[in-house]
Amino acid sequence: MFAYLYLRTAAPTWPPVVDGKQLPRLDVAFGAMNSIVLFGSGVTMHFALESWKHLKKLAFNFWLVATILLGIGFLAGQAREYMSAQMTWQGSTFGASFFTLTGLHGFHVFAGVCFLTVLGIQANRGVYTGSKYFGLVAGTLYWHFVDVIWVLLFFLFYLW
Amino acid sequence: MTAELLERLIACIGSLLVGGTASWQLRNELPLHGLDAQVTKLLLGLMIVGCVLALLASLNVLGAFA
Repeated sequence: MFAYLYLRTAAPTWPPVVDGKQLPRLDVAFGAMNSIVLFGSGVTMHFALESWKHLKKLAFNFWLVATILLGIGFLAGQAREYMSAQMTWQGSTFGASFFTLTGLHGFHVFAGVCFLTVLGIQANRGVYTGSKYFGLVAGTLYWHFVDVIWVLLFFLFYLW
Repeated sequence: MTAELLERLIACIGSLLVGGTASWQLRNELPLHGLDAQVTKLLLGLMIVGCVLALLASLNVLGAFA
């Protein structure tokens, strides 16, 4: 991220010029919509944990499934963004930074989706109780962290 | 209605909805103590910042102007 900041501030124009043509900016409207999908999943995950704390298992399952679906929705949005991006990984510093950082973030979202799925299975198999549920707390914190990293990436790549 | 306008509309309504809900969750978390509660407060706060950014982007205040 610091390498991107250096490249971004050192470049005379941004997005950079490649083969005499300036690269287009990313689609802000789509980026904002996809960001809200991810932020929304943070809210549903928080509801899932609160439901577990209040021993509402049905509500917990509903909110957890909603979180997983929103996470998958965000990944689908990222895939669409990659397919429509008018730059390549090796073509420019902008492309290299964008695909590396958002790709790494996307991998963490994917890992989070897998993590939450496992937590859901464990919770329904009785691994966690009303007073012992650290795995669910850890999963929620991980998911919030993934959300927050996207705040920074969204600002850096779409808004700045 | 163009696809971009629809995306902006979804982002605008979504950011108000998600940001509002996150603010309410943060308010409920405020009296709680403990490491996980403190981290949750911080992360919810940053998520609200993200919602504000998305709202401003959807309203064409931030980002590439269309």
